Amino acid sequence: MKFRLIALAGLITAFAYLLAALGENSEIPAGAGTFLIVLLLLVVVAHFAVKYLASAADRLFLPLAVFLHGIGFVMITRLSDRLSGLQATWSLIGIGAFVGTLVIVQRVNDLARYKWGFFTGGVFLLLLPLVPGLGFTNGGARIWVNLGPINFQPGEFAKIALAIFVAGYLAERRELIAAGTWTIGRLHLPEPRDVLPLLMAWGVSVVVMVGEKDLGSSLLFFMLFVVMLWVATEKMSYLVVGLSMFAVGAVIAYNMFDHVRDRVEIWLDPWSQYSGKGYQVVQGMFAFGAGGYTGSGLGKGFPTRIPAAQNDFIFAAIGEELGLLGCTAILAAFVLLIGAGLRTASRTQRPFEQLLATGLTLIFGLQAFIIIGGVLRVVPLTGVALPFVSYGGSSLVANYVLLAILVRISDGAARQVGDAPDTLTLSERWELRKLRKAANEPAN
Amino acid sequence: MNRQIRRLALGLIACYAILFLQLNVWQVARSDELKDDSRNNRELLRDFNSPRGRIITADEVVVAETIERDLDGNVVRQRTYPERDLFANVTGYFTLGFGSSQLERSENDVLAGRTAEQQLQLAQNLFTDQDVSGDVILAMREDIQSAAKEALGEREGSVVVLDVRTGAVLAMWSWPTFDPNILSDRTRTDTLDWFNFLNADNRKPLLANAYQERYMPGSTFKVITTATALRDSLIDLTTVWEQENAFTPPQTTDPIENYGGSTCGGDLTEVFTRSCNIPFARIALTLGAKKLVRATDDWGFGENLPLDLPRPVASVFGTVNDFEDDLPMLAIQGFGQGNAQMVPLHMAMVAATIANGGKMMVPYVVSSTVDRNGKVLTSTSPTVWRTPIDSETAAILTELMIGVVRNGTASCCMQLANGVQAAAKTGTAQLNAKGEPMRSHAWITAFAPANAPKIAIAVMVKGVNDEVSASTGGRLAGPIAKRVLDLALRVLGP
Repeated sequence: MKFRLIALAGLITAFAYLLAALGENSEIPAGAGTFLIVLLLLVVVAHFAVKYLASAADRLFLPLAVFLHGIGFVMITRLSDRLSGLQATWSLIGIGAFVGTLVIVQRVNDLARYKWGFFTGGVFLLLLPLVPGLGFTNGGARIWVNLGPINFQPGEFAKIALAIFVAGYLAERRELIAAGTWTIGRLHLPEPRDVLPLLMAWGVSVVVMVGEKDLGSSLLFFMLFVVMLWVATEKMSYLVVGLSMFAVGAVIAYNMFDHVRDRVEIWLDPWSQYSGKGYQVVQGMFAFGAGGYTGSGLGKGFPTRIPAAQNDFIFAAIGEELGLLGCTAILAAFVLLIGAGLRTASRTQRPFEQLLATGLTLIFGLQAFIIIGGVLRVVPLTGVALPFVSYGGSSLVANYVLLAILVRISDGAARQVGDAPDTLTLSERWELRKLRKAANEPAN
Repeated sequence: MNRQIRRLALGLIACYAILFLQLNVWQVARSDELKDDSRNNRELLRDFNSPRGRIITADEVVVAETIERDLDGNVVRQRTYPERDLFANVTGYFTLGFGSSQLERSENDVLAGRTAEQQLQLAQNLFTDQDVSGDVILAMREDIQSAAKEALGEREGSVVVLDVRTGAVLAMWSWPTFDPNILSDRTRTDTLDWFNFLNADNRKPLLANAYQERYMPGSTFKVITTATALRDSLIDLTTVWEQENAFTPPQTTDPIENYGGSTCGGDLTEVFTRSCNIPFARIALTLGAKKLVRATDDWGFGENLPLDLPRPVASVFGTVNDFEDDLPMLAIQGFGQGNAQMVPLHMAMVAATIANGGKMMVPYVVSSTVDRNGKVLTSTSPTVWRTPIDSETAAILTELMIGVVRNGTASCCMQLANGVQAAAKTGTAQLNAKGEPMRSHAWITAFAPANAPKIAIAVMVKGVNDEVSASTGGRLAGPIAKRVLDLALRVLGP
């Protein structure tokens, strides 16, 4: 049953790949056979990894991710042969990271113990691009790190580490924070020693992201924090206060930073800056307009007209060649993935896992909304990758790690509620074997 | 926490619903608006990489076609114009950088295979990449066009040749013009410089001067003044004007003179063939502004010419109000000076109308469009645009114009080969005020053979230098018209 879903995602990718090649050059490319075999192998490996390492997990996660990843890969291939090769390598690493995470993380609840370690690691990753000689600026944001042959964005991994930290911290102190035992007049506030560490950690992260001019990540992390605080304390007031703070922060940022003001002006009226800063947004709209209901067909449109079509604007490229139908499928896949993530969050019994599943779901759900909304001019454009779809190794690998943790939580949740027997994990089996061996050996 | 998680799920779904709605706005509701935006060159890009039909003359010379060539290792399509500048004003250009013009623009649907009929063929062969582009067949002829180009030479001006019975444009040449290959060549890197250079040239080489510019007509306009007076029975062949060398119209002290200050007079045939000015000034005043303006309206003044090319302009004469307090202006416009301006194509249409018994035909350059299999998609059928005069008036005007060729201002230069009789009227439009260096346009409008008319022509040589301005319409424009008419009559047969 589950294999059928993932086989379907693989088949869709394979057909899309062939159609794109036919649409562009009217011939099947020479390497197609190899590509299809590697694709099939990857899909099978990922499938069996879930089957043996997390057999009780929600069966939607992997097929949806493979579908998004596949469509994205086909689009990247269609846009640039060079990037296609790089993304193929990253795809291998991504699936490897997925399987690796499933092997290493066997009891998600254990991660909570290392929350301050994750915080330190997360901030370290965030600060890496600021190190002279190591970090560099690309596309206006200083979020890149150069490690000899490869460039990557450590921020993609920092988000996951920080989500683990916030979930761990809140799982431990959420009742104390919610109780609000510190009263000033009529106000019931949480004790400063319960919230201050959290607020400081959050402040440091957001300040670093704003300092790197990474608007998208700042927005994402701010919202992630506020929503997790609200879910953990079950107090609406935190959401209201958080969103009000966001509004105030946005107004201040608008007045303080030129690049924020630019984004808002382009959002409101890209046409007046057509030949300048609004060009990319307008080309994106032209792409959607050209696509119509069914799109031009893969390889038949002109998505290369859009600057950075393979990154931030890949949704517009899909809109041009696959039309409303293709875009709706992408949106539906994200909604289903969010649904699966939040269902996992509400099924698990442990507060840490609940909060972590919520946070991780929010990371990709909100990130996809921020970038698709930016391209569609629902919100001002802030450059972030479209999870699983956009070109970029760091984002792809980080999202597969994130997915693996969600799969792991989902698997654990099923065992907690008794949907599946709570079998031993790999390392527990290993320990048991050692114990048995020791017991069988004659004492001397 | 589960309640909050459920609310969060609803919130996120609402966010994605907004995305879906906005997606519909761009992809469905405002899709056409985005496609039509002038800054969106996707349609052009699509057409650029697709097969595109040819533009072919009536004598089967290809004047625009698409070739495949190597660009940095990629095979790309590119538009070429084998006749270089010869048909630039008609085909226009088809480029990636500057869009398209003329027929490349107005006939784009046929050339790119976008008409409903061609798309239907595509739908019938869904799985083969079939070429459904169509060809545009011109009414124009390469041989007559070449003759016009050679005859005009390096002088600025226009030559228009019409089939008098159908209105078909057989040739339409103006100089300066441009070579569209310079703009469409994809291996060149200096196309933008060329485009800016052509655009900045005040002689307007990118414009088809033959139908997109207007010039003072001079004495060629006397044909219309005469026609109006004949129709109104104000004059006939027996009317006689006294010999005089100056005439002072009302409201002024500034007298009107004949060309070169000569003394001129006699019957209608004499004043027409010698092209006296004073008799036509008197006719204009006697007719009055109302009748003369209405007559020019009948000839199509003030209305954009109905040519099947983009943006034709209109000849102008003026309104009744313009002349009410300015009778001297009415008098001098009676012989084609002042504010009267005519499009060279329109001037050829005036001659063609007289030759065609008073019926002014709609001019056209495209005779048909055909699909890849040779099936006709559209074909132009000749239609009458206006009937400014009756056949009797046309017959009298023909006689007068034969007189011009036999012993008038065109007698020097319009004796056609094989003794074919032509009918013509010359014009020398004086541009300078008194005391300034002499500047004048040289005009001739003619048709042949006079007894059984086939071809009409108008030639206009712009008065941009002393050499042109020192000569008259008959001496300068006459030989050009003769050379083109001789060739046209030879290739079209008796």
